[in-house]
Parts: sequence; structure tokens; C-alpha cells
Amino acid sequence: MASTACFMIVSKNDIPIYEAEVGTVPKKEDAAHQHQFILHAALDIVQDTAWTTSAMFLKSIDRFNDLVVSVYVTAGHTRLMLLHDSRNDDGIKSFFQEVHELYIKTLLNPLYLPGSRVTSSHFDTKVRALARKYL
Amino acid sequence: MEPDASIETSSMIRVAVIPISDVTPLLFRDYAAMLLRHHTVSLNSISSFYTEHQKSPFAHQPWESGSLRFKFILGGSPPSPWEDFQSNRKILAVIGICHCPSAPDLRSVADQFTAACKTYSSSLVQRCFAFCPGDSQLEDENVKGSNLILFPPADRQTQEFHLQTMVQDIAASLLMEFEKWVLQAESGGTIFKTPLDSQASLSSEEVIKAKKRRLGRAQKTIGDYCLLAGSPVDANAHYSTALELTRLTADFFWYAGAMEGSVCALLMDRMGHKDPVLEDEVKYRYNSVILHYRKSFIQDNAQRVSPLSFELEATLKLARFLCRRELANDVVELLTATADGATSLIDASDKLVVYVEIARLFGELGYHRKAAFFSRQVAQLYLQQDNKFAAISAMQVLAMTTKAYRVQSRASIGPSNDAGQTHADGGKGHHHSIVSLFESQWSTLQMVVLREILLSAVRAGDPLAAWSAAARLLRSYYPLITPAGQNGLFNALVNSAERLPLGTRCSDPALPFVRLHSFPLHSSQMDIVKRNPAREDWWAGAAPSGPFIYTPFSKGEPNNSNKQELTWVVGEPVQVLVELANPCGFEVMVESIYLSVHSGNLDAFPVSVSLPPNSSKVITLSGIPTKEGLVSIPGCIVHCFGVITEHFFKEVDSLLIGATQGLVLSDPFRSCGAAKLKNVLLPSITVVPPLPLLVSHIAGGDGSVMLYEGEIRDVWISLANAGTVPVEQAHISLSGKNQDSVVTVASETLRSALPLKPGAEVTIRVTLKAWQLSKTDSDAAASKGMPGSSARQAKDGSSPLLLIHYAGPLTTPGEPETVSAPPPGRRLVIPLNICVLQGLSFVKARLLSMEIPARIGEACSRQAQLEKGNTEQVNGSERQADRLVKIDPYRGSWGLRLLELELYNPTDVVFEANVSVDVEKTSNQESLSDNISAEYGEPKTRIDRDYTARVLIPLENFKLPVLDGSFLGNCSQNNGTPGSRNNSFSEKNIKAELNASIKNLISKIKVRWQSGRNSSGELDIKDAIQAALQASVMDVLLPDPLTFGFRLAKTSSDNINSPGKVDSEVKTCASGDSIIAHEMTAMEVLVRNNTKEAIRMNLSIACKDVAGENCMEGDKATVLWEGVLSGISMEVPPLEEVKHVFSLYFLIPGEYTMLAAAMIYDANEVLRARARSDALDEPIFCRGPPYHVRVNGTR
Repeated sequence: MASTACFMIVSKNDIPIYEAEVGTVPKKEDAAHQHQFILHAALDIVQDTAWTTSAMFLKSIDRFNDLVVSVYVTAGHTRLMLLHDSRNDDGIKSFFQEVHELYIKTLLNPLYLPGSRVTSSHFDTKVRALARKYL
Repeated sequence: MEPDASIETSSMIRVAVIPISDVTPLLFRDYAAMLLRHHTVSLNSISSFYTEHQKSPFAHQPWESGSLRFKFILGGSPPSPWEDFQSNRKILAVIGICHCPSAPDLRSVADQFTAACKTYSSSLVQRCFAFCPGDSQLEDENVKGSNLILFPPADRQTQEFHLQTMVQDIAASLLMEFEKWVLQAESGGTIFKTPLDSQASLSSEEVIKAKKRRLGRAQKTIGDYCLLAGSPVDANAHYSTALELTRLTADFFWYAGAMEGSVCALLMDRMGHKDPVLEDEVKYRYNSVILHYRKSFIQDNAQRVSPLSFELEATLKLARFLCRRELANDVVELLTATADGATSLIDASDKLVVYVEIARLFGELGYHRKAAFFSRQVAQLYLQQDNKFAAISAMQVLAMTTKAYRVQSRASIGPSNDAGQTHADGGKGHHHSIVSLFESQWSTLQMVVLREILLSAVRAGDPLAAWSAAARLLRSYYPLITPAGQNGLFNALVNSAERLPLGTRCSDPALPFVRLHSFPLHSSQMDIVKRNPAREDWWAGAAPSGPFIYTPFSKGEPNNSNKQELTWVVGEPVQVLVELANPCGFEVMVESIYLSVHSGNLDAFPVSVSLPPNSSKVITLSGIPTKEGLVSIPGCIVHCFGVITEHFFKEVDSLLIGATQGLVLSDPFRSCGAAKLKNVLLPSITVVPPLPLLVSHIAGGDGSVMLYEGEIRDVWISLANAGTVPVEQAHISLSGKNQDSVVTVASETLRSALPLKPGAEVTIRVTLKAWQLSKTDSDAAASKGMPGSSARQAKDGSSPLLLIHYAGPLTTPGEPETVSAPPPGRRLVIPLNICVLQGLSFVKARLLSMEIPARIGEACSRQAQLEKGNTEQVNGSERQADRLVKIDPYRGSWGLRLLELELYNPTDVVFEANVSVDVEKTSNQESLSDNISAEYGEPKTRIDRDYTARVLIPLENFKLPVLDGSFLGNCSQNNGTPGSRNNSFSEKNIKAELNASIKNLISKIKVRWQSGRNSSGELDIKDAIQAALQASVMDVLLPDPLTFGFRLAKTSSDNINSPGKVDSEVKTCASGDSIIAHEMTAMEVLVRNNTKEAIRMNLSIACKDVAGENCMEGDKATVLWEGVLSGISMEVPPLEEVKHVFSLYFLIPGEYTMLAAAMIYDANEVLRARARSDALDEPIFCRGPPYHVRVNGTR
């Protein structure tokens, strides 16, 4: 389990549709902002990298200080982004894959408007459980 | 660590530019800008200033193609400790800038400059440029010999040329100084030291080491000077030597420095041509530079000084060199490494510079989010320094990030963007732009950035920026801010506004959300109608015509349907409804709000409004158009929280659309409980020149006219022209429901009053007749059971509308006739508010038929009309009705048919009903018909409120005089030839004729009513009468074929001898007791044939006593008789009377009834039809009415 991790889903339109702090260390609010800022900045690199590979999992593509950004890009160009400080690529990959599956389930919900915020508490619980399992 | 470092920096000659004796910053910047243009001076151009004193060390100087490059440092800079290491860090020249008018004493200027130059010990050339000297200053001898150079006042171009020459002179001087320096350095034993070298006591070992290294370092420095002198080949040669030497002495730091220099020389040599091979070479060499800088890291003085900044600088230089989209990966890698390294930098300002550079490079790469991220890091570093200037810098840096975070101030977006969008809405493109509006909205980040801007602006003391940031924060993120936070922002707004001058404008709107609610349509009083000059009825075609709401033909036209068009008139106030919402937890006081009109042809009136927390309000904004043309109203100008802002409707619209799509946090209007409103499109509004304006006024108040059903009344409508243009055309038409209730409209009056000058007035008369309330209406009214229902009635829109289309002159007098479209006309709609009250209501109608047996007397048997008998039964109330009782001349008896109408008065006034029958004169009834209308016209039936009254209408006068074949002719035909072809046709004919006669009958009956003084009308009861009469119409209309009558034979009567006077006859008849028992009474029966053919018949007469027993036959006969009483065969010629005489002898006094009956032989079809007998052989039996006989016992 990583000591710090911030997970976000960013829609095709660059709008964050889900965010979760999945770290164990309780942090100040300021740090949470910082995490989002780092993830936001990493989008620039994702946008270039995503087209250079056929893989969905882009591994760690960016870092700031000791925080690493790993990204998983779905076919619909929704980006699952994880900010973490550990180097557990396999775990992160599994985490992304499972979250992707969850996200697809959410997408299948006819009441969910693609591109809008994911507000399902079930989704949230599942993501946090996955984070505990893999990270 | 220096900003703006690039590989080429090594070849730039650093020149300090300093202001000397009071130069205003503005002027200094202006002069400096002139200077900055000359950052590159070609060797070619300085050759004239250059004199070779000795053999130049720069053997390979490219005089033809090379150049010297300057780096002007405005304001100068303190000497760097690394000057020895990189010669380009030295300030090699000083240029002073002086503005002569503000420094009259040139000597003191020269002194000041000299003093200033003292701080730049490394400078080789000093010059002071004095601009705009006065004449006296030009002649000042003191200047001669000093470094002061006067620029005579001249135009800009000349000055610039002059300046260029001076810079070339400086360049030449510098070049010569470089030569001097290099020659000296090669020979002399200069010690080159850096802060890296141990400063402590030089041990012997170190001294030896330093001596060894000195050569290499000298070579490197010479190389640097070669670069500065613009001779890369020479530089390269020296660098190669330096590289060799430093490697041997393991002087890694200088090795890296030399390597850097060699790369610069390489690039200079290539003159800016880049190719992949070169790039690879540069990359390779720089990687080695970076590596060697890293190697040179010495642990023991790491606390004090570190080559890290050089390593980072080298990395940044490489990144800058590579900075291209194709090499983004490499650059990102380098920059990330730099960012990592920056964390271990000791000096905060170094860190700042690194972050600034990283941000710039990312920005150059097109990675705006990355750039914004590092910019924000810079801002945070600035904010850590607790001073105003740092805060200002932080604010400025943050302002640059706003674009990436999509929180930019509207001022920075620029108006062009906005103008482009105004007309490109509608359809799918609109939707797309909406989505793109909300793209990349990271609310958390945006809030943080705005908060930081607010914080830095407050610290920097920039109230406007603070206000703007607080406004943006509050407007966009109010749902995410706690009430306490909202109050904090409110205070920030108010505090900022206090520091701002009154009437400050800000491009970013703050709170009340303003959206367009609606454009109230012109009141129907001032509707504007397009004028079609080609047609007489110019208003036609302006309104959508045709029966279809939707026509497929209009589909093709580009969305006309949703593009509303409005016409405003110059000088007539207009109104626009807007809705304001305050979704926050504090009260918003809008000091003033008015329409923002970009077209400038509307005077908008400000309104002040206060919005309680979490509330919304619809307010009316008004204005007066001042000039014709198009009006565009993109939004409102709002003066709120002390600042004037412009709120665009479009922004709120897109916000609302975003809210419906879940892209925005919340809909401010919805959260305030405002009703959901469809998006109101901004219509295209045209202002037209002044039009006439008719104002209508209904005499007696504009309220509704209360009329009882069927009432007729005149209404006077006065029309006044309240406009400034005369009315030249006017046309009155009707529309709406119940148009037939308007009987006449005096349109001639209006037409004759044209042209109606401004201020003129005309009164026209409209005659109204109230319509009948429909069944449902009256039912509803009844069920409600109150007069209030009448008010509802009026609002139902059942009233007719008076439409007046009017227009001014076709062309405005001042303008030429070439105006393409004439000014529009107007339509005035005057609702004739008729409130129809239920008047007399008709309950039922029935036909009453009674027979009053006639009394036999000689007089009465004549054609008398009035019977005043039975006085004993007459009471007061019947007395009037008695007069109605008429004897039927054809029947002989007092047969009476009355149409009884039951009327109910549900109102609260008294009605007087008045029945009149208009009777046509008939041949037999001249005398009767003469006075009949008078007789029946007079009596009035008073019907009190809530009472029911009956009105009787006698129907006797409608009998046709002759039972005629013409009437029943068809009928007989039908009967005679059953199954004939024209059967149905003839039946139809009969019905039609019958109906016609009924209608004729009914139309003669009029029930007029009057209530109070001035309301009167007519009851419409035709249908009711028709229904009542339908069954027995034949009986009413047609006479019997035979009429029977009895009378005393003349011979036996003594007391009545004068048959002349009707009245006396009546009297005697009434009083006459002429029949006495035990006397032979001669009587005669009269049989009249009412048909046009002779009738053969068998007449018989019967007499019955009171008990109804036949008293002439049988064993108990009480009447004896003489003559023939039964089986009398006779033939009555057409329309003639036949008399049959007989005598009776009454044994017992009392009441007897005489009856005559006849069996008609060979009845023709007419008779048969009248008798309604079907069988051909059935005899027709015709019975006369009974006649009373009173037999007195004694005389």
C-alpha cells in the first residue's frame, strides 16, 4: 500500500469526473490540491504519449518531486490517473484494469450521462477496496 | 543561476544600462528600447571604428559574416562570483542614459556616471548617452573629454541612427579591449578562481594543483573572450586546448565549462543552421557537460556552494536548444530532471529561476498545463517571500496560469472572441461550443488558483485584481464554498471596492446572475404591423395567414421560427424582463442595473434592486429607443459591490445549458427556486421611426359593459392620437368570438376624421346586442349560483374585438421618397368587454288550448268577439286576460289557444316583459287586426327578481280563413297516390312549407323586455316556441272544415231587436235570460263550410242535460222537440252558411248543452287530411263545440 496516492478519472473533455485520495497518510488539504495540480499538469504529457503506444496502460509518465503519475487511457480517451510514490507497476496495472471494468459498468448505466461526474457510492467503495488490494 | 540562459548566452557581451541623474522610468524605458534594438552588431559595420593596434589574437575572426552580440542589462546587476568561470557573466560595458532637460548640469552628470561605473569593475568601456540636450548644454565645454555623448535633439529616426553609430563605436572599442585582454591573459599569470575552489588556506598541494589547472582555465577563459569577440573558430581552438588540459588535471567543473563554450562555438560557427547531426552532437556534448558538472560536486563545501545550479542551467540550456514539438519527449525528460534537481537547490531565488525557466520551456513546447503548474510553483515561492513586490510578481505569474486553468478574467480573453460568437449560435455548433466552454473545468484547481490570486492581489494591494478574483470565485464556485467562505468573499469584494475609485469598471461580473426572462409583447393597444404598400388592406399578410400552424413550406427557411423579431419605436418606452438570482447566503444589493446596449441607440434606465439570500427576482428594465436601426442587447450593466460590471445573457445561458447536462455544479436559478424557464433567444430588434399611436377610451369607463341577454345598447369609443405622427389610414374590422353581437360600427365617422393629427380625437359609435348565453354557460352560472360568475364570463374571451389598423404617412416628411420599406402600421385592439348577464330565462313554453262553451242567444250567435259572461267566476287577476278571450268566428265557440311562456328572472333587477304580435291584415279580420297590436302591446308583465312569471300569447289570430287545398294539397296528393315517385319530395315540400308558415307565425311574436330605465331588449325564444308549437301547429293554423253555431230563432226573441251594436248585443247576451221552460223555443243551427268545395253531410243535433245524459231521447226525455234533429242531409256550398231550424221545448229549467255533429259524405282529400284519417272509406265525423243553454223556470 502506497503511503500517498491520489486517483482521478478525467473525461475526454478534460473534466475530472471522479477523484479519490487513496493514501494512508492523512494529509493537509493543501496537499490534496497539490496532487490534483500535478495530475492536471500531467495531462499534457498524457495527450502526447497516448498516441505513441497501443497499450492502454502508459506506466509512469510524469513525476514531480517524489510523486509519480501513472496513467491508463481507455479507448474512449477517458484517463485513469494515479499519483503515487511507490513503484509497483504490476499492482497499479491490475488496479487500473479493475477500475476500468468498474467504469465500464458505470457507463452501461443508462442513467449515466457519459462525461458527467461519477457519483455512485458503490463505485467509490469498490475503487477504494481495489486501492487497498493493489496499491 | 540566471534567467533566460541558453547555449548562445556564452557569446553575449553583457552591458549594463543604467539611468543617470533623474530619468523617469518611462523615459528610461523608452530610451532603453531604442538601445535594445541594437543587440547584434555585425563585425562588418564596426570595421570603420576598429583600429588594429597590434596583431589581433582573433586570427580567424569572420569580419564578413560575424557579429558581436550584446546583452543589455537594464539597471545593471551586482557582480557575480562566477565571473572568472564564465566571462560572459562579467559586465563588460556600462551605458548610462541621461535625459538632459532633467539634468541641467552636465558636469555633475559626468561625475555621477563615473561614480556609477565604479561598481562595475569588470567593465571595459563606459559611455553615457545624454538625450535631448539644450543649446547651452551642447555648447558646454565640460563635456569634451568625458564619456558623455550628447544626442542633439532630432526626430526619432535620426536619433536611432545616431544611437546605432554609438553602439557600433562601443562594439569596436570592446573588440579592441578584448584583444588587449586576451594578449595579456596569454602572457600573464592571472589566477582564475571560482567559489568552488577551497577558499580556506591554500595548502602547498593545492597551490601546485591550482598552478597546474591555471593553464587550462586560462585557455577556457580566452576561449570565452573569443566567443564574445565573435570568433568561434578561435574560440574552438582555445576550448580544445582547455578541454585537454582540464581533463588532465581532473578539473571537471572547468572541463564542463569549456565543453559548454565549445558547443556555443560550434553553434556560432554554424550560424544558426540546425540539422539532426548537429543536434545529436550538441545533445551528446551537453550530456557530457551535465555529467561533468555533476562530477564536480564536492561534498565538503556542498553546504556553501554547489555546481548544481550550473548543472541545472546546462540542462535548461539543452532543453531550450531542443525545445521543439518533435523532441517533446527529450525536453520533458530534461525538464523533469531539472525540476527534480531544483528541490535540492539552496538558494530560493535560484529555485525561482529554475521554475520560471521550466514553465517557460513547457509553455514553448505547448504544454500549457505543465507551464501553469510550474508557474504556480513560482507564484508560491513568491508568496513565501513576505513582501509587496513578491506578491505583485506572484499575482502576475498567477494571472498567466489562468488560461490553462480556465479561470481567466474576461479582460484577458478579449472582445473579438465574444463578438464572433454572438451571431454563430443556433444549431449544433452552439451545443459544441457549450461543451467546449466547460472543457477542462477542474473546479478544485480553479478555486485554489483564484484564491491564490485573491490572496496575492490583496497582499500586492491591487484592489481591482482582488475584486475580479473574488467575483470570479464567487460566481463560478459558490456551490462549493461554505456560507462562511461566501461571506469572506463578500467582505473581500466590499473591502476591495472601498479602495477603488467610484465608478470603476471590471470585466468580470460578480454576483447576481442575470438572464433574459422575456420581452413583453407590445400591448394590444400598440401592436406594430408590417405595412404592405402594394395592397389596399396593407395589414394583410403581416400576420401568419392560412389555416395551418405548421406548414411544410416554411420549414426550408433558415430557422425563422425561433428567431423572434421585435420592433421598437423611437421615443416609445420599451421594457425587457430579466431575472436576477442570488444563490449565496448573503444579501446582494444591486445599486443599479440597466440594459447594456452596444448599438448605442437606446437610453436605458437604471433600476436598483435588493436580492435577499438565496432568492431570485424578475425585474423590468426599461429604456427609450433614440435612433432607428438595429438594437443589440447582449446583457446588463450591473453596479454591484461597488464596481460596474457587464453581465452577458449568453454566459448565463450557456451556464444553464451546462447545468442541464451535468457539466456545471448547479443552476443558480434553480437553486433559488426560480421557475424553470425555456431559453430565451435574443430576438433581433429593430427600431423604427415614430409612428402614430391611437389610444382608445370607451365612454363610461373601460370596464366591461354589462348587458342582459338580448339587450341592445350603444357604446361610444373615443380614439385619440397620442403619437407624434398623424394617422392617415385607418380601418376597422372585427375579430374574436360573438362578432354578430356588434350590430353597427360607425367606421365612416373615423374615416371622415382622417388624417387624425397628433392630439386629435374622434368618437365612434358601436351598437352592441348581447348574445344569448349558451346552455353550458348558464348552467355553469347556475351551478356557481352567484353573480361573480359573470366576471369569469367576461374573461373567457367571448367578447368580440374591434381591430383598428392604422398607419401614418407612407414616407416621413424629412426623408426622400426612396425609402424602401414604408414605416409599419399599427393595430389597435379594443376588446369590447361585453359581460352578458343572464336575463329573463325561459323556463318552458306550452300550448294551452281550452274551449269555453258559447251561450246560445240570438245576439251572440252573430260574429261577436267579446264575451263578458261568467262574471261570477271572474276575479281581478283574470280580468285582463278576459279581454284576450276571443270568440272564434269559425268555430262558433270560445275556443282559446294560448301560448304560455314561463319566464324566470334569475337576476337581481326587475324585468318587465311585453308581448307583441305583429299581425298581418287578413280579409276577415280588419277590425280585429286594427286594434290587436295595440291591445296586446300594452300590457306589461312585471317579473320580480327570483320570480317566475307566465306570459300568454294568444294564437287565435293566426288561423287561416279558409281550409284550403293549397295548403294541404300536397298532402292530399300524397294520400291519393300512395307510393308515387315524388313521395319523399313532396313530403319534404310539405315540411318546408309547414316550417315556413311556423316561422312566419313565430316571427310575429315578439317578447320585448325592459329593465330599469335604459336597458331593453328582446327575448330570443324562437326555438322554444317552435318546439311548443311543433305538435299542434295544424290545429293552431288551420280552421275546422265546418263551423257549427246555434242561436235562437229571431221569431221567438222579443227583447233584442237591435243587432247593430256589438256592445249592446254583448250586454243583452250577457244578461239575457231569454229561454224559459215550458215554452216552445225556436232555434236554428248554423253550419258554415270553411272549405272551398261544397260539402254534403248528415247533420244531427243532440241536447244534453247537466248530467250529460241525452235528454231528448229515451223514456226520461226532459226536452221535447219539433223538427228534424238527426239525419238531416244537407249540402253546404263552399264558404257559405246553411241554416237549419228546429224548436225545443224544455220541461225543466236548468243548464243544457247543445251539440251539433255532422258526418261528411264523400270527403275529399283536404278534409281527410285535416281529420287525419287514413282509410278512404271511413266517414269523416265533424263535431261542433258545445253550446250552453240556460233555461229559466220563470220569466
